[in-house]
Amino acid sequence: MSAKIEVKQLRKSYGSNEVLKGLDLTVQDNEVVVMIGPSGSGKSTFLRTLNKLEEPTSGQIVVDGHDLNDPKVNMNKVREKIGMVFQHFNLFNNLTVGENVMLSPVQLGKVNKQEAEFLARGLLKEVGLEDKFDAKPQSLSGGQKQRVAIARTLAMKPDMILFDEPTSALDPEMVGDVLEVMRNLAKEGMTMIVVTHEMGFAKEVADRVIFMADGHIMEEGKPEEIFNNPQNPRTKEFLNKVLNV
Amino acid sequence: MKKGRIGWISIVATFFILVGLALVNTDKIHADDNTYQIGTDVTYPPFEFANDKNKYVGIDIDIMKAAAKEEGFKVNVKPVGFNAAVQALDAGQLDGVIAGTTITPERKQKMDFSTPYFKTGVVMATGKNSKVKDFKDLKGKKVAIKTGTAAATYAEKIQKKYGFKTVTFDDSDNMYSDVVTGNSVACFEDQPVMQYAIRTGIKLKIITQPLTSGSYGFSVKKSHNQKLLKQFNAGLKKLHEDGQYGKIVSRYLGEKAVAAQEKEHSQNSFWDLWKQNKDALLGGLQQTLVLTILSIIFATAFGVLLGLMGVVPSKFANGLSTVIIYIFRGLPLLVLALFIYTGVPNLIGQKIPAFVAGIITLTLNEGAYTAAFVKGGIEAVDDGQMEAARSLGLPYGKAMRRVILPQGLKIMIPSFINQFIITLKDTSILSIIGILELTQTGKIIIARNLEGFKIWTMVALIYLVIITLLTWLSKWVERRMNA
Repeated sequence: MSAKIEVKQLRKSYGSNEVLKGLDLTVQDNEVVVMIGPSGSGKSTFLRTLNKLEEPTSGQIVVDGHDLNDPKVNMNKVREKIGMVFQHFNLFNNLTVGENVMLSPVQLGKVNKQEAEFLARGLLKEVGLEDKFDAKPQSLSGGQKQRVAIARTLAMKPDMILFDEPTSALDPEMVGDVLEVMRNLAKEGMTMIVVTHEMGFAKEVADRVIFMADGHIMEEGKPEEIFNNPQNPRTKEFLNKVLNV
Repeated sequence: MKKGRIGWISIVATFFILVGLALVNTDKIHADDNTYQIGTDVTYPPFEFANDKNKYVGIDIDIMKAAAKEEGFKVNVKPVGFNAAVQALDAGQLDGVIAGTTITPERKQKMDFSTPYFKTGVVMATGKNSKVKDFKDLKGKKVAIKTGTAAATYAEKIQKKYGFKTVTFDDSDNMYSDVVTGNSVACFEDQPVMQYAIRTGIKLKIITQPLTSGSYGFSVKKSHNQKLLKQFNAGLKKLHEDGQYGKIVSRYLGEKAVAAQEKEHSQNSFWDLWKQNKDALLGGLQQTLVLTILSIIFATAFGVLLGLMGVVPSKFANGLSTVIIYIFRGLPLLVLALFIYTGVPNLIGQKIPAFVAGIITLTLNEGAYTAAFVKGGIEAVDDGQMEAARSLGLPYGKAMRRVILPQGLKIMIPSFINQFIITLKDTSILSIIGILELTQTGKIIIARNLEGFKIWTMVALIYLVIITLLTWLSKWVERRMNA
């Protein structure tokens, strides 16, 4: 195992409001890291700094040996290898499902149109939506949209995928299908960082669970350590609340 | 990345090439140095007016042309309105003005005048049944005057003493109408013009003797175009000597000429008027359409470019876009048109043809409005769309073109249609700089036949028909794009 992401003393402020207060984190190749914590603790912001959708205020992020502070690093190239799945799916509304999946590989010259279509149909089959190739995103359910979004990300053949609360906007009966797809990805060895409130998924799939609160990493460890024997009082309090509803 | 840049560069390049072509065209117009650009009034019968074929005739125009013929120079007489003509002369947009201009000491400070060619004096006229007998009866009443005329100067001079208010007009016929309808109680005008108007059917009466005595002269900008002035004087002298001058004057003031004009004023069925003026109105419409189409093309290109500058991740471009939109949206179209046509040439020392000035005016104004809704349309697309595209490794330009713009465009389509219709209507404002489009054509026809209600109805109907067609076309395009 080698380090896929190394984060050192990462800080992010909006004006005088500091959201990330000096985070350190290393994620290994093939590792599945699940981040939990109360709303507003900075989980999503942290995730979004890793592919520079948010510009960090200070600190260092190294992805695959590329220091993102280095002006010579081509961020577009780095992003090709870091997939991202959003809470609100963000499917391109002007394109069909198939075109959503094909857009970036074709635009970035990775494959020609025919190869892209073959690839897209294969990926849609993997997420159980092969019959939706020509559908418009507006006609899909939330769960279907999210699975298309995952297929779209996979089309770039990323080394790792960031999941930003992928099931939070879904109706409960849709959650299972999406988690199933994520579970399969984890099994295949995809490196994943998942911000989620699905504690069951965290217990089952995570190699490591990180608890964040107030812009700090409060505690991290194997799922059974965190869930069965949390050390930090904030972790205890949080788990008490979410597990005993 | 490369492909995207080329796309943008080609849009920008196209825009500048088109502007370039327009300017080259301008130079061609100027290349013919033998032709003098002479300004005149829209309507000042019998000195200048459009005849029933909508050709400009009148004592001034015939004298100018005859003198030019005698002395072997060419003139292009442009009916831009008296006030606009005087300003354009000062701006260097025109070489000379022949518009029944009374020679006065004030005007001599800015212009050089030819030898006088017609005697005149200011008179006051009232409605046929008016109780106004002399200046004292004007107290507290409204008096109509025409901007920039010697008669207006006279009225303003005595205004305080007799305590009346003035209402100013750009055209003689509007001034007369104001008195005929009773809005104003009297008007001041040069004697020969006033007499002619009354003889040909205007329902006014002259109630004073000539109050001043003066003469009309042809004018050039002070210390400019002295050669033209000398040639005109020499030509005028010959016209007097060989009797042409007398012929020209009687052509317009003789009994026959007056009777013909009078006859025209009495032919007034809607259908007859349409048949008489159809060609002129359709000619005006054609000019309106050319102006509209060119302006829409330029304004859309300019507006889209400016709108995109407003959203790209560059503080400088954003700021520049905001300032340009602020300026050109904030200026009234009329002011912008006059500024470009009579203001800018003063600065750059080069003539700008009215047509080009008109296109530039509309491009800047409509473009600023277009930019504002282009910017708004792009900003209305959910941020998540751009984030998703960028997270896949798409560069900004590609993400913009493939994902954001297609969605933004859909939001913008109704605004585009609206803006096209506004552009069509706004071309009418360009009549102020003498472009012979539909509105100006209507004005000129009315100046001749005084059928304001019927002619304006025709003009209004033509606009409505064209706007309806444009709306249908736009809706059709909208449906095609949404399909």
